[in-house]
Amino acid sequence: MKTVREMLRDADPVRTEDGARDPDRDRLRETIVAAACRATLSESPQLSGSPSHSLSRRRVVVVAIAAAIVAGVAGIGPLIWSRGGATLQAAVRFEVRLAETQPGADLLEAGVTGSGTAIYLHREIVATNDDVARSRVVRSDDGSRFSIAVEFTPEGAEKMRHATADHLGRPVAILIDGSVVMAPVLRSPIDGSAVISGDFNEAEAQRIVNGIIKN
Amino acid sequence: MNGLTMATVLPADAPANPAERLSALFDAHYARLYRLARRLAPDADAARDLVQDTFLRAARAPASVPHGASSEEAWLVRVLINIRRDEWRRAAVRARHAPLVPDARAASDQESAVVARATIWRALDALPPRRRAVVVLHELEELAIPAIASLLGISAITVRWHLSAGRRDLARILRPQMGATDENR
Repeated sequence: MKTVREMLRDADPVRTEDGARDPDRDRLRETIVAAACRATLSESPQLSGSPSHSLSRRRVVVVAIAAAIVAGVAGIGPLIWSRGGATLQAAVRFEVRLAETQPGADLLEAGVTGSGTAIYLHREIVATNDDVARSRVVRSDDGSRFSIAVEFTPEGAEKMRHATADHLGRPVAILIDGSVVMAPVLRSPIDGSAVISGDFNEAEAQRIVNGIIKN
Repeated sequence: MNGLTMATVLPADAPANPAERLSALFDAHYARLYRLARRLAPDADAARDLVQDTFLRAARAPASVPHGASSEEAWLVRVLINIRRDEWRRAAVRARHAPLVPDARAASDQESAVVARATIWRALDALPPRRRAVVVLHELEELAIPAIASLLGISAITVRWHLSAGRRDLARILRPQMGATDENR
């Protein structure tokens, strides 16, 4: 003889379904963020009506603009995105590689600049300059720190998402001119953009931004 | 250059960029909203649509979403329930002409635990969305009445009223499965 509560708990689908593996989650996330971008740009005719009719989850063509990495962007002031083509700049080599904290077969040991720690890089390069659509310098609130925001091309975003989705909880290395400038632990897959944070001075950050795009 | 890790916690002040704000909102509240939606909507697909529509409301007007985790959650939960209520109203006529619960004897004849569970779960479809939300939040998410009142922006008295009425409605529908169970237990 069961109570209503006991019967509901027995029948509760949340207890039997694996919501954490919901395959639609990432797609839904991208849809939402893309909608936010369109709304911001006042280019959202699809959003003028009922969202359930105008932007069905099953019909939306997903535009991957999502910034999976927003952590570490504390107090960043908006600056202008740069294609870097207006001024001749020395090229900067940009790479993203998956990494491990422990040595292993076929991994390359590298030091993380300024940290004194070692990281072990996968040989395969996930993304390079060719996968970057835009980049910009971002400045902390107090003006003392400069970081670099990178927006990937659609192909680059897809590569990043694919490579990082199965690497959560492990590091990914960002290399500038062959040096590992940061090796953050992935909390969520990277897709549309990333922020390379660090103790860059303004000139250094601007040099990287201007040189990161191949012309 | 000592890079900050991407695992660094988000800044206390929410991102000014709407896309970043929505990303943060989604990451912080998706799982919780999906659980609630799954318990309010008829099936998993409907639950995902419900969550999507909720976040799309936020995407259309991110400035209207208050800051702070609990305020964000309350805003999103209320929007989700309101959307579900609109859907429920649109389907109300159809629902009135359809049996709310399959014949319990037919279900038991199949001797299928899955069918039995589905039968019980469908009993919730008889409840209006807000009442269903109160029942779900209390009976399944084990939230206390004051917490539900705060989350939904209604009084504790109203929460108690919905809870009592919801239990009574469910007990009436589920009586064949319950036998002589005390409906208020």
